Amino acid sequence: MLTYIIRRILALIPMLLVISFLVYLGLELTPGDAVSYMIPPDVAGNLSAEDLNALREQLGLNKSFLERYGIWLFNVLQGNFGHSLEGGVPIKDIFLDRLPATLELSAVAIFFSTVFGCVLGTIGALKRGSATDSGLTVAGMLGVSIPEFFFGLVALSYFSLHLEWLPVGGRLLPGHDSYWDRIPHLVLPGLVLSLMMTAGVMRYSRAAMLDALGREYIRTARAKGLPEWRVNLMHGLRTALTPVIVLIGFRLPTLIGGSVIIEQIFQWPGVGNEFIAAVRGQDYPLVMMIALFSVLAMLLASLIIDILTALIDPRVRLE
Amino acid sequence: MKRLLGGLAVSTALSLAAPAVAEDVIENPLADERVRQAIAYALDMETIVDTLFEGKAIVADSMIPNGPWKAPGLEPYAYDPDKARALLEDAGWDEGYVLDVVYYYGDQLTVDLMTTMQAYLADVGMQMTYRKLEGDVIGELTSVPEDPQSDTSKVSWDIAYGAKAALVLHEYYNVYLDGKSAYTPSEAPRNELLRAINGTADLEEQKVAFQDFQRLESAELSDIPLYYQQIYIFESNRLDRNGGPYGNEQFNYDWNIVNWTIEPDENGKEILYTNKGPIQFFTQPWLNPGLTTDAKLLYDRLMTANAALVPTDGQLAEDVQVMDGGMKVMFDIRDNATWHDGTPVTGEDVSWSIHTALKVPSLNGVFANTFQSLEGAAAYKDGDAETISGITVDGDKITLTFETLDPNVLVTFSQFPPLPKHKLEGVNPLEFQQHSFWQNPIGSGPYRVEEVQMNDFTRFVPYEDYYGGVANIDEIVAFPSGDNDPNVVKNAAAGRLDYGFTKSVPDVQALEAMEHMRVIPADINYTRSLRVNAFPKKPS
Repeated sequence: MLTYIIRRILALIPMLLVISFLVYLGLELTPGDAVSYMIPPDVAGNLSAEDLNALREQLGLNKSFLERYGIWLFNVLQGNFGHSLEGGVPIKDIFLDRLPATLELSAVAIFFSTVFGCVLGTIGALKRGSATDSGLTVAGMLGVSIPEFFFGLVALSYFSLHLEWLPVGGRLLPGHDSYWDRIPHLVLPGLVLSLMMTAGVMRYSRAAMLDALGREYIRTARAKGLPEWRVNLMHGLRTALTPVIVLIGFRLPTLIGGSVIIEQIFQWPGVGNEFIAAVRGQDYPLVMMIALFSVLAMLLASLIIDILTALIDPRVRLE
Repeated sequence: MKRLLGGLAVSTALSLAAPAVAEDVIENPLADERVRQAIAYALDMETIVDTLFEGKAIVADSMIPNGPWKAPGLEPYAYDPDKARALLEDAGWDEGYVLDVVYYYGDQLTVDLMTTMQAYLADVGMQMTYRKLEGDVIGELTSVPEDPQSDTSKVSWDIAYGAKAALVLHEYYNVYLDGKSAYTPSEAPRNELLRAINGTADLEEQKVAFQDFQRLESAELSDIPLYYQQIYIFESNRLDRNGGPYGNEQFNYDWNIVNWTIEPDENGKEILYTNKGPIQFFTQPWLNPGLTTDAKLLYDRLMTANAALVPTDGQLAEDVQVMDGGMKVMFDIRDNATWHDGTPVTGEDVSWSIHTALKVPSLNGVFANTFQSLEGAAAYKDGDAETISGITVDGDKITLTFETLDPNVLVTFSQFPPLPKHKLEGVNPLEFQQHSFWQNPIGSGPYRVEEVQMNDFTRFVPYEDYYGGVANIDEIVAFPSGDNDPNVVKNAAAGRLDYGFTKSVPDVQALEAMEHMRVIPADINYTRSLRVNAFPKKPS
């Protein structure tokens, strides 16, 4: 297994290089540059073309595409991710500043969606065809069909503005920076994100559980006289978890990249919010850092999923 | 008047002569002022303002806003489609020509306006398409032909819908200066009137020059003025300005912030919530000196201005003397003015700020004009001199000597905030905004930064040694946002916004519907217009 893991990690290097080049190329194809964004058009007429050109020269934007990519790559290989073009803040600092907020939100969403999704999916499978199963199926359909911004706005409108139970957004309030103070801020975005993910996990785990319950080893377990709960949980659910783990595993890196819509609605100061601002402002060092981190997380998640699958399902062998 | 009429005649003659250009150049029908006038007559701006903008705008008849500087009797170009058709017929308008109209705003209202314009123009026989400029918007809007009189256009569009946010009225018309306009060819009569506007510091003489220009502008319509946008200041019922005036919040004026009060919260603390706080860094205040909350709270200027942005008294300077008809200005800085770290504000700080600003690319145009007018400024900027010879510092006194007259010198110093030399000395002007100072800046104003949680909030508290007295409100919390804050309504509804300003019509309507909020409209220098490209074009 160790050889397999090392081989997979080494394979990440060329993949990351190709992906970084493609992302950089994508940014290059986008019209305009960071300077176009820094100066509002309403006041642009007051600035001379020489001044704007000097700004571009200073930021290295006048160099050729390959030259800029080469410089960026050379710096990254030395551990230097550069500075934000707009504000000069080190990219590493911005990223590390935003990451905790995103991880916090992601952890809540992954935890609740996994627990509730698996439990409700299993109940639906065990009570197949019942009113409970139908109700959960309808709820699951609604959950995956309704866009998250709609849930977000409804939740905000009702719980924050109408009932005034929870804050309208943000992660912190001045003078309230202990972890317990943060929880009310986390409830709504965490809930909405969990809700969307729970629906998916529930549908997946129901289908996987139904598939598992129809297998011969389940019949064998029952024939051996094992109690029904043991058959369902130890033999059925364990196997059914494999596809669910794959689903959750692949969602984790996308959440680390930031749940853009939820972060926007709830003014959540995470990576997703920063990514949107960086793309709008053509702040390519920041876009590259976030994009590369998301890709790396995705590739690592794929590796971890393979390992976990092998651990859970004895039929799977890593080669 | 004779000069003006002469100018008009030459202008018309030049417009009519536009077809007589080189063979590889396409005649531009928009060079004919009758076509531009027809467009103005074809648009029913009264109805557009009443319906599309819900009455939250004022129909414009000139780039200059309404007020004492407006020339009387300007042609209002009231909706008259018959007149528009007649003008187009006279000009020989080709109905097959499709106008390429561009804009750079991302809001739905702009798209609705474009659709409406399309319908109005179609009614008089003009076709138009519209598109949003993307990418190098500034280049697309401002690229100037090498020869401003006869070269072909460097921009691709026929008409650009945009706005001019001006600190001083000169900014509306100096865009037509020789070699500065991307859409209006240079003409001698116009240049002469521009020289008159810029050539005097005498307000009465300036007023006459401006009114002359407005008459020319009204006939030529290089820009077709559409409407004046107001700014809407919103406040919660908790806030009391205690007599402080309401003015152009996009810039700085004497708004009496030190004496503002706010009802205490459940913990007995007086906290004012606002927006336009820093997102990733504090924005340097030499481009937009009053647009962000931090720029207003942290920095004082040498002078202060009234709500109409007319400079009135000294602020950091206890004495201001204008000598030699405006060619020399002396500021005497207060002994008790200090930066937020306790260091005194000195003439050296002001001198360093001007020297540095002159080399910062993103400098406000009005400031740039003032500083470039200083004696020795050109040599300094070009690297031929180490300092600007027109600046002399003697302790707390700083004297500025000008090579050419700048009519807006006092306006500049009522908006330009000097910055602390001891914190920024050695900064590369090209990387000014990238300096670490902008993560937690200090200033000379009534509030100082207490805590920064970038992207979450910034806390400002009264500066204890402020020369103007300690401010009343215990704390000001600014949530991060750009100029267009998408969270205004939500935060106001939740009681997390006590003060701010917006130009968004939907936001204003929502705020007006909230019982605990009040909205105060204020006139500002902000005119939306259609910039008409009259340069000849190259065949595509």
